[in-house]
Amino acid sequence: MRKLLRTIFLVDLFEGLWVTFRSQHPKKIVTEQYPMHRPKVAERYRGAPRLNINPENGETLCISCDLCALACPEKLIVVGWVRNPETKRKDLVNFTFDTSRCMFCGLCEDACPVDALELTQDFELASYTREGQIWDRQMLEEGPRPTQYKS
Amino acid sequence: MSEEVKPTPPDAGPETPKPAAPPAAAPKPPAAAAKPAAPKPPPPPAVMAATPWESDLTAALKAEFADQITEFSTYVGQSFLVARTAAVPSIIDFLKLEQGFDYLVDVTAVHYPKKPEPFELVYILYSFARNERIRIKCGVKEGERPASIAAAHPTADWLEREVFDMFGIEFEGHPNLKRILMPDEWEGFPLRKDKSIIDMDQRWVQENLGIESGQ
Amino acid sequence: MAQTFLDSTELVLNMGPQHPSTHGVLRVIVKLDGEKVLGTECVIGYLHRGVEKIAENRTYQMFAPYVDRMDYVAAISNGLGYCLAVEKLVSAEAPPRAQVVRVILTELNRIASHLLWLGTHALDVGAITPLFYTMREREYALNIFEQYCGARLTTHAFRIGGLQYEVYEDMEKDVLDFCRMFAPKIDEYEELLSGNRIWMERLINVGILNAEDCKAYGVTGPMLRAAGVNWDIRKAMPYSGYDKYDFEVPVRENGDTYDRYIVRMLEMRQSVRILEQAARGIPEGPIMAKVPKVLKPPVGEAYVSIEAPKGELGYFIVSDGSVQPYRLRVRPPSFVNLQALDKMARGSLVADLVAIIGTIDIVLGEVDR
Repeated sequence: MRKLLRTIFLVDLFEGLWVTFRSQHPKKIVTEQYPMHRPKVAERYRGAPRLNINPENGETLCISCDLCALACPEKLIVVGWVRNPETKRKDLVNFTFDTSRCMFCGLCEDACPVDALELTQDFELASYTREGQIWDRQMLEEGPRPTQYKS
Repeated sequence: MSEEVKPTPPDAGPETPKPAAPPAAAPKPPAAAAKPAAPKPPPPPAVMAATPWESDLTAALKAEFADQITEFSTYVGQSFLVARTAAVPSIIDFLKLEQGFDYLVDVTAVHYPKKPEPFELVYILYSFARNERIRIKCGVKEGERPASIAAAHPTADWLEREVFDMFGIEFEGHPNLKRILMPDEWEGFPLRKDKSIIDMDQRWVQENLGIESGQ
Repeated sequence: MAQTFLDSTELVLNMGPQHPSTHGVLRVIVKLDGEKVLGTECVIGYLHRGVEKIAENRTYQMFAPYVDRMDYVAAISNGLGYCLAVEKLVSAEAPPRAQVVRVILTELNRIASHLLWLGTHALDVGAITPLFYTMREREYALNIFEQYCGARLTTHAFRIGGLQYEVYEDMEKDVLDFCRMFAPKIDEYEELLSGNRIWMERLINVGILNAEDCKAYGVTGPMLRAAGVNWDIRKAMPYSGYDKYDFEVPVRENGDTYDRYIVRMLEMRQSVRILEQAARGIPEGPIMAKVPKVLKPPVGEAYVSIEAPKGELGYFIVSDGSVQPYRLRVRPPSFVNLQALDKMARGSLVADLVAIIGTIDIVLGEVDR
């Protein structure tokens, strides 16, 4: 009798639907609408490299010490500098970072004594050419500018 | 539908080549030479600062193989012995049957091109019963054929093949001695010190992969 | 007149290197009599990258990221073994806080590795469902890695002498949450598989390797323990403070594929136990021992091995006193365990060969290095 009632009133069906309904809670949705919404990666994520500039005067923080280039296992970093005769300090001329073979181990970031070189949370590094993977100083300071989509 | 707001490409295309200074892959001096020199500490000893190793095991081995074993030593708490190449299979047999070293952990080699015996074979043995790990080392001359221990320890089959593959040491009596990791037609032995990391079999790479080798 | 190959009773079959159940690029040449396997020969090396040669051209610190690429499923274990080996050479020891964090991450990695194994192994044998569940839970572990060190798979989490990254704010809570969430999930998997008739039919008495053969072939890890040998390097030669934790080493008797499955399931439960103890007791203090930036270990050599999820992972390093290792040898567990495939597969059916390859838990990045 009870079984018959369950069958008539589709109890099993509603129980199943309830399970489905429960996982519809906005908190539980795990699908990411990727190009519109970029996922939030961890704070310590090791992504695109960036050469930090001093926010006050816009000068680079890099002191051309070459430690990042020495720490890099794949020797991807080339630091170009000239000795400034007035201040007796090294002036950064050029900074190239080959992201094509970078494995984002973070050793360059660790080696930097002034926090100038940093691996950021940007993860969109694709390029149409191999040359596009070699980032120069301007690219490193501005960061990659991936296409933005309106959601 | 998604709509592009800012059509800037993610990077400059090929028409605006970067003023890339030397490409990052340009040959550079090895990092060792360029490391900033720290204030010189007293020069470390050029040989391993090993201390003699004495135990009941060494006594048993001395009694069995009097002059075949030339050194018993311990370094950072790890014991090893240096033996004559010809005696190594019998030492390993003795250790397996009499002393319970029934697990051959690893067989490997080290290349010292300047020594009269340029290769050093290293056998690592472990005993479950004694919970002890020892190393057996022996020197091998160029072209010398040390005996295989694959009959006593089947695991030595692949490990010896790898040593042959990487160093070119041929093992006498090995059931199936051919290359294991490198391609069969490869020339040269990669882990020998006289080959640098980019000085490899260019011909094979060009023929089979169609690319210029080198970094 | 013309003799066809069908006349002979033996058939040579090539399996791989692009076969989905060889877990990568393993190629097995199988000799068959009907459906019976007469013998196998493994052809490996498709993923050979010359890790040992690369090591001779990098400084000790520089080489650390490369070891993650060997067993990429358990990258943290690889890194731990390498760091311990170099620390042995320079006679340094990581501070207590670093050791506890290392244990937490390594055990999480063991769970992640076993979960991936369970999912893919079940997939090989024909059960598709567990893969989705195991991948879901593995994600939690990988999220903790990402929060801690910024990478999920090839983590480069440890440095020689300790840690680079301080414990993040909620790490203790995250790990305990993971333990609370994960312990019932193991019951779920067991409910799905352990008593399942098809699962048992496919696994019991398949690919038996007894204790004697295990020792002869140098097989370690869960395979050895499934054969009844109570041997775990965490207990036998404790490293990184494993002697402080209360856990058991699961052992089974038969040494068949089913027992290896049971051992790995029990191991995950023990890992949860270790995780709970470790996460509750992270001591305060420094995370980095005093290790010079320009690391020049004295002339000498050392072999250090750890219990990786797959077995004994050893590093044999020869130092000539310079900043680069003179010779670095990796003793990979998968490589040695794979050698026992022929012994296990002889006489079984070709369908069981897939189950046997799966049960070894190989990662071809480590086999080929």
